[in-house]
Formats: sequence, C-alpha cells, structure tokens
Amino acid sequence: MKKLKFFGTGGQGVVTAAKIFSTAVSLYEDMHAITVPAYGHERRGAPVITDVVMDSEPILMNSFVYVPDIVVVMDETIIDKHVDVSAGKHDGTVLVLNSEEPFMLERYKKIFNANEIFYVDATHIALEVIGKGIPNGSMLGALAATGVVEIDSIEKAIRESFGEKAGDMNAAAARKAYENVKKL
Amino acid sequence: MTYKMLDGNGAAVEAMKLARVKVVSAYPITPQSSIAEKLSELVAKGELDAEYIRVESEHTAMSAAAAAQLTGVRAATATSSVGLALMSEVVGLAAGCRVPIVMPVVNRALVAPWSLWCDHSDAMSVRDSGWLQFYCQNVQDVLDLMIMAYKIAEHEKVLLPAMVCLDGFFLSHSMQKVEVYDQKLVDQFIGEYIPKNTYLNTEDPMFICDLTPPEDFTELKYQQKVAMDNAVDVIAEVQDEFYRIFGRKSSIIEEYMTEDADAVLVALGSMSGTAKHVANEMRKRGLRVGVLKIVVYRPFPFKQIREALKAKKVVGVFDRSAGLGAQGGPVWTEVCAALRGLDIDIRGYVGGLGGRDVPETTIEKIFNELLDIYKGKRILHTNWIDVKDNAMEIREVLKVV
Amino acid sequence: MQRRPEKPMKTLKSCKVLGPVATIFDSANTGSWRIERPVVKFEDCIKCGTCARYCPANIIDIFKDERECVVIDYYYCKGCGICANECPVGCIEMVDERSARKNDLQNA
Repeated sequence: MKKLKFFGTGGQGVVTAAKIFSTAVSLYEDMHAITVPAYGHERRGAPVITDVVMDSEPILMNSFVYVPDIVVVMDETIIDKHVDVSAGKHDGTVLVLNSEEPFMLERYKKIFNANEIFYVDATHIALEVIGKGIPNGSMLGALAATGVVEIDSIEKAIRESFGEKAGDMNAAAARKAYENVKKL
Repeated sequence: MTYKMLDGNGAAVEAMKLARVKVVSAYPITPQSSIAEKLSELVAKGELDAEYIRVESEHTAMSAAAAAQLTGVRAATATSSVGLALMSEVVGLAAGCRVPIVMPVVNRALVAPWSLWCDHSDAMSVRDSGWLQFYCQNVQDVLDLMIMAYKIAEHEKVLLPAMVCLDGFFLSHSMQKVEVYDQKLVDQFIGEYIPKNTYLNTEDPMFICDLTPPEDFTELKYQQKVAMDNAVDVIAEVQDEFYRIFGRKSSIIEEYMTEDADAVLVALGSMSGTAKHVANEMRKRGLRVGVLKIVVYRPFPFKQIREALKAKKVVGVFDRSAGLGAQGGPVWTEVCAALRGLDIDIRGYVGGLGGRDVPETTIEKIFNELLDIYKGKRILHTNWIDVKDNAMEIREVLKVV
Repeated sequence: MQRRPEKPMKTLKSCKVLGPVATIFDSANTGSWRIERPVVKFEDCIKCGTCARYCPANIIDIFKDERECVVIDYYYCKGCGICANECPVGCIEMVDERSARKNDLQNA
C-alpha cells in the first residue's frame, strides 16, 4: 500500500491530477487506487489537498492520508499559506516539488532534510507546452519519475481524461517534465 | 469485465442511466451537485432519453419526480443535507402514495453549524418516513445498491421508495475503480418500468393523496408497515439474483470476521471500510476484533443483527449523527432494541460529524476500548469518540476595540 | 458553563459564545485568490469608467483629475479579468500575479 498527498492551490487542477493518477494505476497498471479529496471553499488560489491510496488489493479504508509515502507539491507558495506539507512524513517519504527556484528549494530542503526530493518547474513546462500555467499534467510526469507509476500509463490516463487535443498537449507536458525532473 | 474510474456521484448517475430514467427533476446542492450536472449533460447530449425539469427547490424536485413516476416512468432526483430537509414534506408523500422512486442521498450534515461535509444526520432525520434506506461502503456499492434498489422498490410486495445513501465527499467525490455492467444485463435484471399501483392518466383520472379520515389512516399506514416487513425477504431475493447475474455478493448486513471476535463494531457507510481495514491490521497482532456492517438500515435488520451478535459479550456501535437528546445515536438505539434481553454490553460511539474524518486511529481506539471492556479492564467508554478536549471553550471571538 | 458577559460585548477584547460565529473575516481577503492581476496603462486610458461599471466586486474607483485615474483595490480584486475584457481601448492588461507580487516586494 502506498499513500500519496497532493498539495496545490485552486485553479491548478490538483484534484484532477490525483484522479488522473488514480486512473493511471487502476486502469493501466492492474492496481487499485482511491482518491480522497478534501474540499473546502472552492475558489482560485485557496489551498487544495487531495489524497490517494493505492494498493495491489482492493482498498478497504476510506479516510484521509496522515502518513504519506509521496508528497506532491504543485504550488511552492503553499508553505506560506498555513499548510504543513511535511506533516506525517517518514524517512522514506518522497517529495515531488513544482519549483526550480533556488530560494524555495533551500526552504523545502530544510523541511524535508532527510528525504528524497524530485523537482522541476512544472508550471513553466505547462506554459511552454500547452500555453497555460496549469501544471497538473506536467507534475504527473514528474511524479512518474519517482517510479511509482509508468510514464506510459500517465500519458494514457491523461489522454483519456482530457480528450484528444488537450490530452496530447498535457501528455507531452508530462513527458517533458518526466525527462527534465532533477533530484536533490 | 469492464472497469471505469467513477466517483460516487458518477456511479449514481451510471445507475440511473442504466435504469433508463425518463424524467429528471433535481436541484443541485453540494456535494450532490455533480449528479444534477451529469444528468443534465447526458440529457443535453442525447445520451439519456429523458425530460429534464429545471426546478427551483428540492420540494419541487420531489413533487415533480413523484408525479412523473405516477404517469408510468422511472423518475430521477437526488439530494443532500438541507435539500433533503426542504424536501421532507414530499419525501413522506412519495412513501405514503407508494411511489417507488430511487433517490441517491449524498450524506452531509444538517445545519447548524453550517457544514458542507459528511455525516448521516440528513438521512437519519427521515429514517422513519417510509423509505427504504441503503448505506454504501464504497463506490462499487453505489452502483450495485442503486441498481438493486430499483428492483426492490418496484417489487409488488414492496412498492416503497428507496434512498441510497453515500457519504458526502468520502464517496461522492472519491474516484474509485468500478466494475460497470452491460445495459442488456441491467435491462434483463430490472426490466421495463411497469406501474403496479396508482397512476396518473388523463383518460382514466384518479385523485391521489386525497384527505384520509381517521377511519382509514391507520390501515393505510399499516399497509406501509407490511411493505417494510415484506422488503426484508425481497431484498435478500434480489441480492441473490444480482449475484447470479452480475457475480457480486451483497447482503442485508455483512459480518466481517465476527465469528470468533471478542469485540464487534457495528458501522455503516464509508467508515465501515476503514473499520474492516483496521480489523485486518489488528488481527495481524492477534487481537480478535470484527465488524458488522449495516447495508440496509430501513427496514432495520433486527433479526439478522440479533442472530449475528447473540453470542457476543461486547458490541460497539458507531453513529455518524449525534442523536441529540436521545440516550444515544439512532443506530445504537436500534441495535439495543434488536439485542434486548441478551446479556451483551452495547456501547454507543458518536463521531465523524460534519466532515470530521474517521481515520484508522479513531477506529483502533474504539476497538481497544471494547477489548478492555471485554477483559474487564475498563468500565467507561468514550461516548463522543473524537471530540476535542476544549469543546466547551469553542468559540472565543475577538472584538475589534 | 457559559457566563453572560458582564460588560456589553463591544467594549470587550474577546468573549466566549456558544455556536458558530466569527468576528474576523479571513475569507474577505478575496485578493488572495488572484492568479492574474489587472494592471492599467494610464497613458492609454480614456477615463470612461467602463471597468468600474463592469467590476462584479465593485472595487474600482475612477479619479478623473488624477494621472493614475483608475484605482483598483487589490485587497479585494479576485483577478476575474472582466475589466480587461470590457475596456474599450484595451488599456488593462492581466499579468501573472506571482511575478507582480515579486516586483511589489522589490519596489517596496
């Protein structure tokens, strides 16, 4: 069983990203996954958190994730919005961060001092590839770089969720982030 | 087998589509909204051959749905929380007029405090309104119980409307891998809608819900009671047939590792999945705990529960609604009634209110308390299991001086 | 137990009450929702006031005698972009909030 937490802000497609990830592992990798989204006051810019639990067996539990194995941060500024992205982390927890800003990387390094960190400017890649700064597709590519899911499955799930045209562009963004992700 | 990724609301819509509903009258309310939205989308795209009535409230939504179904088609509506409260007058009408509507209720707390999030206080508030009530553990349950509910509600020995209750957000917005069924098989299972009771036809007029004097009221109410009693057997039959056709087992109550359990927790809704998960983990440590999941809450399966728990010493019951002013939550009260006269220590727990998560730790705390009570190491239990210590200090408001 | 405040509530710094209530309106800062912000090019502005009339939050003021004649209250502006869409001379540009905020900090 693996538990994931996705952090971001309203408008970034955080919930969509978690759903596409669940689709990728459930339909294209013979696994089981459930998304447990935490909804608040829905509006742009507000912190959004969504959890995913995946396992080789059908999943019985239905509650939020408190001890994440993977933390996906889609908006680096979330740590300035009273959100503790490191809550419940353990030694094996992996961080996937949407930022290449040295100052922010330093801050995250301090929080996740003993953990593996994958990072890429997914918003920039999204702007380049799809023309919009919505990083959900590209962040899924970065997430695939951790090995938790195949990039091929992510691409298939993105195409299924977004339809042909937007699907191809977002899949390309995912692939680009997958290839450009760096490790700390 | 065909799998789809669906959230609870998506599964409810899938079931309504498979049941070929002909009229939709729904009013959107969080967290039910995507049901109303998806249905309107399907109608607009022509994928669902139905009339979509845009209504201005839940009261009208149920009025229109009930009237539409009386003309001889399946009608669809769905609601949640205060929407169900506003609808409640007509909820009783649909039951009393024996209109077998199937309605998903996306469980959300009633006001006040204002909340958008899950608990069972909405559905529990109408538990005695004459509707069948089913509670879902996961998204697959939503699809399966919705499909079964059509067949059960429309059965000539039942003819009662049915609520399929799914936990707001925890199920309504949780995307899960769901096995979906072939339209032909579903057609074969639930068949075309045939009105078996009253009907609205301008060629052959009938006045439905006329004023009923005291001479007849009790008898008409008694008919509903008999229908509820009949429903128990019909539900079991339909669940068997569902298993034969679709290969998926279902039951009125589900006993999960209860047989040799020292402590059993009675639960319903999505938290029963978490309870099973915790039971598995605790079993690995040699602790004998089990879960009794209530799938059908109305009619209340008192015989099945009594049979399943009669040899137990300690039973916990988890209510996701407060049961204010009662000795305990509504599920606990009824489990007590089902087990009356037996030497069983039945402890009521209230928790998971207004969207408070029911995590593994809460369930484990309950199991540990029950095991301690079983061993005689503990007398009292934590009735409100997840309440904060500073409850009476909330809230302190700051004033701008 | 809840005790009745001895002094009228408005003279107190804080008090305890039962039930759902708030006196601090955190969510009122709708400006924090912004992804993009409207920025006016004053040299092109014709001071017509169209932006102010269309603003759904009613947070744009027009000062015809000032050079910086359009004043947007960024505390409340959600960045919906309606003003930029409606401006007849296209003198309102929607710019990325993150970089705009960075510039603000550097200038301050």
